[in-house]
Amino acid sequence: MRIDTFRGTVRLLALVLPMTWLVTSAEGQMRAASRAEAYGVAVTTTTVNQKSPYAVLPTGEAMATDQGQSVSVPGFVTATDLFAIATGDADATDGSNAVSSATLGVVNLLDGLITADGVVAIATSTVGDDAVNSNAEGSSLADLVVNGAQVSDPAPNTRIGLPGVGYVVLNEQIPTGDGVTSSGVTVNMIHLVLTNLLGAKTGEVIVGSATSSVTR
Amino acid sequence: MVRLRSLALLAAPIGVVLVAWSCDRQPSALAPAIGTPLAHFIVFQCSPLKITGGGRIDYPPGTADKNPPASHEYETFGAHVMDENGDCAPEKGSLEWVDHRPEWNINGQPLNLHSTAITFAEEATDTDCSDGAAHWGGRLRVQNTGEEADFEVFDCDNGEPGVGHDGFAIRVPAIGYEVMCPDPDLPPAEPACTLTGGNRQFHPTHR
Repeated sequence: MRIDTFRGTVRLLALVLPMTWLVTSAEGQMRAASRAEAYGVAVTTTTVNQKSPYAVLPTGEAMATDQGQSVSVPGFVTATDLFAIATGDADATDGSNAVSSATLGVVNLLDGLITADGVVAIATSTVGDDAVNSNAEGSSLADLVVNGAQVSDPAPNTRIGLPGVGYVVLNEQIPTGDGVTSSGVTVNMIHLVLTNLLGAKTGEVIVGSATSSVTR
Repeated sequence: MVRLRSLALLAAPIGVVLVAWSCDRQPSALAPAIGTPLAHFIVFQCSPLKITGGGRIDYPPGTADKNPPASHEYETFGAHVMDENGDCAPEKGSLEWVDHRPEWNINGQPLNLHSTAITFAEEATDTDCSDGAAHWGGRLRVQNTGEEADFEVFDCDNGEPGVGHDGFAIRVPAIGYEVMCPDPDLPPAEPACTLTGGNRQFHPTHR
């Protein structure tokens, strides 16, 4: 009787265990994710909502690109030679990666209040057997001038006040994810926040933005 | 009548085989010859592979150090290739390449190369790229001029992070363009230039 019970248990396990493995594997496949997007210029106010060029990695694809010879949002920003590239791959077995980049040539915000001659935003996220991580390596600003002052190689999240306008965050880096099963970063090389006299936000201009994230 | 049937029975399988043979891809004829002598990237094999990612190279010189931003001496790119069958004829792939150097400003814009077809991909087995390497390429369009040309890339995943470790190089002979780093002492393996941003990821289960 005991042997029959034991055999029955073994049969049941032989039937049920592989099914749980399949479910676990399917969950792994479903959870692995890779996200990448990049854009050259975005202007958001009560009257303007514009983002260009804009590349977003489609689900199941490995690359998306967009570009523009020049972009002009009158009164806010002009820029030349804009390229946005988003790449990545979600692979539950080998690990996932995501890399996005936004590059621009000559940039001019608020009629010369902020200028630059070369903007690069790069966001990279990788998950493998050993680690999950993200970084903004490769990002840079060339010949940056803010309110008449030269700014060289600003540290991440450098904030400069602009009286009567608001403030600007340079080399803005916003991490996402838990660092264990997921990781991501958004890099905004020039993030101008417009405020009213009371200090309330009324709009923003972002120049050179790259986002990447991966989930194990 | 019987003879005709026998003839048809004999001819049909031969026809099927001939049609199947004609549809089969001939990968060995697709990879172009490499123009310069190298110590790496000379031994290849057809095997399943996938490489994805993108990033930045600061060429010249193509080392792990970034050039001063104001010099505009850098290139940015995205690139991927996948050969599931391991026959050196990839099912998927694309390349987007931008060279920001002033001397490669053509018709008022940075040189922009955009692939139109990926025709070959082979695994390089003689490199120092710890996680995998590939030589692949095909046809691209020079977006600045509309001109089409053959290209090849040398793609190297040398561990994590990609910055300072992984490498990439490109060659477009028809327009006299190449970003290659033929220095044997330069990591990860010549002619790949070292990434200053981004990552290349070789997926081993596709090997």
